Amino acid sequence: MIRKLLRTLFTLFLVVTFVFFVLRLTGDPVSAMMPDDTDPAILDELRKQWGLDRPLGVQYLEYWVNLFQGDFGNAYRDGRPALEIVAERIPATLKLTLTAFAFIVIAGFPLGIFAAVNRGTAIDRGIMTISVTGFSLPNFFLGILLIFLLSVTFRLLPAFGSDRWYNLIMPVITLGTAGAAVIARFVRSSMLEVLNAPFIRACRARGMTERAIIWTVALPNAAIPTITVMGFMVGTLIGGSIVTETVFAWPGIGRLLIDAVTARELAVVQTVVMMTAASMVFANLAVDLLYLVIDPRRRYASGTGEQ
Amino acid sequence: MKGPAEQRKADRATPLEISGLTVSVNGGTRKFAVVEDVSLCVRPGEILGLVGESGSGKTVTCLAALGLLGSGWRTEGEIRLARTRITDRASAGQLSSVRGREAAMIFQDAGASLNPIQRIGKQLSETVARLRNVSRGEAQEIALDLLRRVEMPDPEERFHSYPFQLSGGQNQRVMIALALAGRPALLFADEPTTALDVTVQSQILGLIKSLRDETKMGVVFVTHDLGVVKEVCDTVAVMYAGRIVESGSVDRIMHAPRHPYTLGLIDSMPTLSGHIPEGIEGQVPAPGRRPPGCAFAPRCHRAEKKCRLQLPPGEQGDGSGSVACFFPLAGDLAQTERAEQPSHSRPADVAVPDALLVLNDAACDYATRRGMFRAVSGITLSLREGDSLAVIGESGSGKSTIGKLMLGIEPASAGTAVFDGRPVPVLGTADHVAFARSVQLVPQNPYLSLDPRATIGSQIEEPLEIHGIGTRHERRDRQRELLEAVGLSPDLATRYPHEISGGQCQRAVIARALALRPKVLVCDEATASLDVSVQARIIELLRELHRTHNLSIVFITHDLRLARSLCSHVAVMRSGQLVELGESAAMFEAPQHPYTVQLLASMPDVEATAPRFPETMKRPGS
Repeated sequence: MIRKLLRTLFTLFLVVTFVFFVLRLTGDPVSAMMPDDTDPAILDELRKQWGLDRPLGVQYLEYWVNLFQGDFGNAYRDGRPALEIVAERIPATLKLTLTAFAFIVIAGFPLGIFAAVNRGTAIDRGIMTISVTGFSLPNFFLGILLIFLLSVTFRLLPAFGSDRWYNLIMPVITLGTAGAAVIARFVRSSMLEVLNAPFIRACRARGMTERAIIWTVALPNAAIPTITVMGFMVGTLIGGSIVTETVFAWPGIGRLLIDAVTARELAVVQTVVMMTAASMVFANLAVDLLYLVIDPRRRYASGTGEQ
Repeated sequence: MKGPAEQRKADRATPLEISGLTVSVNGGTRKFAVVEDVSLCVRPGEILGLVGESGSGKTVTCLAALGLLGSGWRTEGEIRLARTRITDRASAGQLSSVRGREAAMIFQDAGASLNPIQRIGKQLSETVARLRNVSRGEAQEIALDLLRRVEMPDPEERFHSYPFQLSGGQNQRVMIALALAGRPALLFADEPTTALDVTVQSQILGLIKSLRDETKMGVVFVTHDLGVVKEVCDTVAVMYAGRIVESGSVDRIMHAPRHPYTLGLIDSMPTLSGHIPEGIEGQVPAPGRRPPGCAFAPRCHRAEKKCRLQLPPGEQGDGSGSVACFFPLAGDLAQTERAEQPSHSRPADVAVPDALLVLNDAACDYATRRGMFRAVSGITLSLREGDSLAVIGESGSGKSTIGKLMLGIEPASAGTAVFDGRPVPVLGTADHVAFARSVQLVPQNPYLSLDPRATIGSQIEEPLEIHGIGTRHERRDRQRELLEAVGLSPDLATRYPHEISGGQCQRAVIARALALRPKVLVCDEATASLDVSVQARIIELLRELHRTHNLSIVFITHDLRLARSLCSHVAVMRSGQLVELGESAAMFEAPQHPYTVQLLASMPDVEATAPRFPETMKRPGS
C-alpha cells in the first residue's frame, strides 16, 4: 500500500516536471500576450518582472519551493492567484463529469447485462451495434449533432448555458456516450464469462431463480473487473470535458485550459494540468483500494487480512 | 424438521425414475441425440453408480433430470422425481421450486462451484432460508448445523471463510452441505471426488455414504472410476455412447460383467495387486457420428455382422439388471486371463553407485511473496538404467518438484542432482541443451503441451531440428518411425492437435519426447487427464517402450494403482519428504510407513476389498 502511494506521488512529480518544461520550451508568454509591434525593451522588462529571464533550472526549483508553500503562481494578465482562477471553475466541471459518470454507469451497466442475458439474440446485436456507433462518434461531432437536432431543428433545448438542470442534458450525453458504450461492451463480456462459470450452474441446481442469480451472484462477480475500466474512464472524462466544454461554452476547467494555453498563462495551465493529473492518479488509487474492498481474494492475498 | 406425514410420503416416493429418456441438442442444421432411450430407477437410500468414458452422456442425463440443460436441448421420454415430472415444458418457476428441494447436485470442481466472493456461511444460510422458508437467524443456525453434519473442521470459524481459503475437500463438504439444505430425496453427484486426493476422496465417499444412511436419500453417483463405484454404490448403470449398455447390482457387475464394454472398463482399471490394465482400442464415437447398430461394435472383439446392423435389445433380466448385447459374456470374470505383474528380482536400494540419475539429499526452494518456501528436502533416491520409478503422493507433496529437479527445471537448493556422473545443468544454461537430449518430459495435459497451430508431424520433428540432427529427409523417416513406435498411424503426421483424440495427442507427445532417444522419460501425471480405457493403453505403451527401448521411466502420479502396474520401484512423498522408497511389489504387500498404509487403504480398488468378491474369483497376485 505504501509503495502504491509512493508510486502515485512519483507519477505526479513526473507530470508536473514534464508540463513545466514543455510549456516553457514551446512558447513565450510575454510575446503571446503583447501585440506584435511592442518594443522589445518592454518585453524584456516584463520577462524580468515575471522572472522568465532566469535559467530554467532556477525557475523550476523556485516553482517547487512555492508549491510546497501552497503558492501555485499568479496569472500574468490580472495578477490573480492561479489556484483561485482554477478553483472557481471546478464546480462546473465536477457537475458535468460526475453527472456524465453517473450516466455512463446507469446506461452502460443495464445495457451490458441485458445484452449478456439475451446473448446471440436481436436484442444483443442491437445493443452492440448501438455501442459500436456510440463509441465511434467523435465527441465534438456528437455535440454539434445534438445542438443541431435538439436546439436548432426541434428547439427543445437551449444550445448554451449552465444554470438549469436541463442545460446538462446535451453535454452529459456528449461526454458520456463513448464511456457508456465501452462499459456496456465490457459488462456484457464480463457477465457472459461469469454466467458460464460453474458456480452459476450450481446456483441453478439449487433452485435459485434466474433473476436472483443475475443480480445477486453474477453481477457482483462481473462488476469486479469493470472497476479497472471505470478508473480509466475518469481520465477519458476529464480529457473529453475539454472538447465538450468548448462545444457547449461550459464554464469549466476544460475551457479554462484552452484559453490559458492560448494565452500562455503558464501558472494557470500548470495548475489545471496538475489538478487533472492528480484526479486521474487518485482515481486509479481509488480503483486499487476499491478492489480490496469488494474482492476478498485480493484482500487476503495482499496480506492485510487473516489467512 | 419435516412433519411425520410428509416424512412418510417422502420415504415412499421413488426419488428418481427415468424411462425412455432421449436428449438431443441442436448442432447447426442437425439434431444430435446425446442420450438415447435411457431408463433408470433410484430407490430411497440407494446409491446408483453411473459409469462410462467421457462423452457417454452421464452428466447430460443428470442435468436433464434437473431441467438444467439450456435452450437448444430437447428431452423426450419421462423423468420423474419424488413428486414432480420434469419436461421440456416445465416453467422456470416450476423447475426452481424442484431443484434443491426434490433433487440437488454436487459437481467435480467444488471450489469453482461456489460463489468466489461470498462467505460460505452466507451462501449456506441464504440457501437454507430460501429452501426451508425460515428466518435469517434460524437459517444461520441450520447452516452451521449443516457444516457440522458434513464434518467440516472448525465449523464456526469456517463459517466466515471464503471458498478460496478452503481446501478442495472442504469446499466439497460445503457443496454437500448446500445440497442438503433443501432436504432433497435425491442427490446427483457428478464426479465429486475426481479432483481430490485419495485420502480426502475416501473421507468424502464415507461422508456421502453416512449421509445416505442417515437421510435415506437416493444418490446418482457419476464416475469413471470403477474402484469408487465398488466402494460406494449399490447398483451400477454402465453408459456407452448415450445408452445404458448394462445395469445391475454392484457385485454382479463387478465380478460377472456381461457386456464386453463393462469387462473392458474393468480390465482398464489398474489395481493395487498389480493387474496390468488392458484398455479398449478406439474411442467413444461423438454424438451424430454414432454407428447404426451397437455403438460399441467397432471396438468390440466379440462383434459380428449383426451387431453392426441392429441395435441389441436392452434385455430385462430377472430384475437384477439388464444387458444390451447380442453376445453377452457368460458372466464369470475368472474366464478372462488377467496378466500378472512380473516380480522384480532386484532388491530395493538407496543411492547405488552405478545409478544413471541420482538425487542426493536434494532440496528445492521456491521464492514466494512471503519468502522462500522449501518444496522438498532431504531427497535421496536413484534411478538405474532400465529402472522404472514411481513417485507418488498427494497434491502439494512435492512429487512434481522431484521431476523438476531431475529435468533441471529447478536447481537443487541443497544437495545434488546428478545425471550420468555429472551434475544436472539448470534450464537456461548452455549445458542444459545437451543434457535435455538424455532426459525428457511427458507432461499431464497433451493438448496444452502441443502447439495448436503446428501439425503433429512437425512437432515430433522439432526436437531433431533444434538439436540439428539429420537431414530433412532423415528427420522425416525418424518421425515415421516414432509415430509407429507409439502406435499412431503415419497419416496423423499432417493433422493438428485439435483434430485427434486426447489419447492420440498423448502418444504424439510421447513420440516427441522419444525423438532424441533419451535415456530417461519423466512422466508427470501423464495419464491423469485421460479416460481409463485410454489411460490403460498409454500405460501399455510406456511398458512396451520401457522394455524395447531400454528406457528408464520416472512416473509421477497420485494413483497408486498405476504406480503398481507400471513401475518396479516406488517413492512415496509427503509434505516435501520422502517417506518410503522401495521395490513396488514388496511395498504394496507390506508397506512400512504409516502414511503409505493410509494411502493404500484410501485407494478405491476394483479388487482390493476382498469381502465383496466371492472366494472363487481369481485374484491375480494372491
